Amino acid sequence: MWKIEPDRLLRWLKSAAGISILTAVAAAAMATMDRGPHVLVNAVVMGGMLALVSMGLALVFGVMNIPMFAHGEYFMIGTLVAYYVFTPINTHISTHPDSMLSALGPLITIVAAMLVGAIAGVASEVLVFSQLRKRSRENWVMNSFLLTVGLSVVLINGHQLFFGADFKGIVRFWSGAPFSILDVFISRDRAMAFFLAVLVVLSFWLFISYTRTGRAIRAVSQDETGALMVGIGLNGILMLTMALSCALAAVAGASLLFMYPSYPSVGLEPLYMAWFVVIIAGLGNVLGAVVGAFIVSLLKVLTVEYIGSGWDFVVPSALIIVILVFKPSGLFGSEVRGILDK
Amino acid sequence: MEKTTPSGNPLDRLLDLLCLTPLGISALILLALLPLIPPFNQEYLIRWLISAAFIAALSIAFDFTAGYIGIVNFGYCAIMGLGGYTSAILADRIGLTPWLGMLAGALAAAVLGFVIGIVTLRLRGIFAACLAWFFGLALMGLATKLMWLTRGPLGLRVDRLFASSSNVSFYYLILTMMVIIYVITRWTTRTKMGLAFKAIGQNMEAARTSGINPVFYRIVNFTLSCMLAGWLGGFYAHFYGILTPDVMATAKTVEVLAVAYIGGRGSLWGGAVIAFPFICAMELVRSSLSNLPGLNLVIYGLLLMAVMIYYPGGFAQFFDTYFRRTRSRLLGYLVNGGRNRPDAISDRQAAAIISNPIR
Repeated sequence: MWKIEPDRLLRWLKSAAGISILTAVAAAAMATMDRGPHVLVNAVVMGGMLALVSMGLALVFGVMNIPMFAHGEYFMIGTLVAYYVFTPINTHISTHPDSMLSALGPLITIVAAMLVGAIAGVASEVLVFSQLRKRSRENWVMNSFLLTVGLSVVLINGHQLFFGADFKGIVRFWSGAPFSILDVFISRDRAMAFFLAVLVVLSFWLFISYTRTGRAIRAVSQDETGALMVGIGLNGILMLTMALSCALAAVAGASLLFMYPSYPSVGLEPLYMAWFVVIIAGLGNVLGAVVGAFIVSLLKVLTVEYIGSGWDFVVPSALIIVILVFKPSGLFGSEVRGILDK
Repeated sequence: MEKTTPSGNPLDRLLDLLCLTPLGISALILLALLPLIPPFNQEYLIRWLISAAFIAALSIAFDFTAGYIGIVNFGYCAIMGLGGYTSAILADRIGLTPWLGMLAGALAAAVLGFVIGIVTLRLRGIFAACLAWFFGLALMGLATKLMWLTRGPLGLRVDRLFASSSNVSFYYLILTMMVIIYVITRWTTRTKMGLAFKAIGQNMEAARTSGINPVFYRIVNFTLSCMLAGWLGGFYAHFYGILTPDVMATAKTVEVLAVAYIGGRGSLWGGAVIAFPFICAMELVRSSLSNLPGLNLVIYGLLLMAVMIYYPGGFAQFFDTYFRRTRSRLLGYLVNGGRNRPDAISDRQAAAIISNPIR
């Protein structure tokens, strides 16, 4: 399966995917030599988390054909749950510093956020999307997009209505001295966030490639009617997909709570970034989204590093517009997806 | 398509020229008289009416793209903001009068619309919407960062259009602009061009095979719709007197989008009719329940979702189904005018014509 054939490798290198990945790696290497390793570390840490959010977005588009505009709001739900779960744990830790909770507390928090995110996903599938699916099939993509716009408005302002508009954040999950890798001090929270992201992406990939359910999800994303014919329960799969993708976003939100305090529109920035990612990776391309996430986060880090903060929407979006003009279906139109579909 | 001659009555002819029904013109007269009627002659109510008329005008121009060629211009308010900034900066730097400045803003927005139209040519539905959105995000980022030009988040102070402290003259101006925008878009869509827009929106391949050149029509549509947005942006700048990059935010586009879709896609007038009661109700909720911030927007979102799920045609479809097809002659005259049938061809008719040109 992984045997390298020079012929195919050369062809891949000449494709848009190969060129862009090589360019990204080269740019990362050059920036690292120029400005120091913190560029690389930042890009990798942020890319890991962005991969979670954009994988969920790509999954929802690929399987359910919904261009999700409310995906950032599940990120927001993740931060909110994490805040309300971790605050009591934190007070407990500060009075009993040696208890088990100081190590397990953050994990409990993130798992809780994941569960609530999955429940929120199931709820929105049952209450919103299945209702639309029952009623209309024509013009589905645009209608469901507008539906998610409404959902996003409701969730953002629901947060403001019930929890207030103030910043609800924590200082850190894991206390202790920062790690030092390549002369860069990287806080324990960032390192753990990255490890979590890798763990989740890997297990998700294994799940979707090798389990029966994962195969069913891929089948639905390729051909809904065909999947129905071979006896796949469509409603269950759609619900599971929604739950999974929302849980992924919530995990990202929860483990980044130390960077993004919870407030009503905290999900907007991850949402924009994730849309950048899925657009350049090709909508519905889950594995491409992982690669795209690292490219976009590198782009953002480089922009902040060389041009200045605040330009990090201008430059990436301009670049993505250019990419879209030349490759309307995204960089990894079919190549990378082929691996996932094998 | 539009061969139905109106009856000889000169009033009907005039109304037909303005693309208004008798009911429509009476509603406009009512709106024009509203600032004189007691509960509405207070300043804050006039401000509500102005913002409602502003959203109404924007939603007409927005629907011109979204409802006809089926592309949601998700960066619409950024383009509106570009028009506003152009007008404000010209007035500030070279002392151009705001009236010309608004036209310059329209021109700038039209150029951008032309560019977006060209760039999105190869893209379909959601990709085109995303591209317009990214344009909007980039513009907003530029407005935030080009501090020497726009003063960024500090806000650019702009001279107001009328020196008087009363807002009534602004209200009449925006009402006039709304009617002009309605008439322009309606005239455009009444000709064969409107049919071509609908055909492209329904099925681009079928339209191309029927001899419609999508490149030309899509660019015309984008340019015109963005130009109108830029003109309205000029009004926005010279009415509020201060511009911040927030006017370009996606949330503003969502507001316009919600009004346009609740009003009914592809109808042009639906959004304008819905905007007045809707915006005023939202303002009422916001000001009377100020201890519950965000409630008005929750209602907003829920309403948009409910309309999308249960009645995707919006208010215009409701009106067409239950009022336009009336048997009563008086009511029929009021809602249909001198014409003997509704002047907007329905989507289904357009699809039938396009898919079966021989008929």
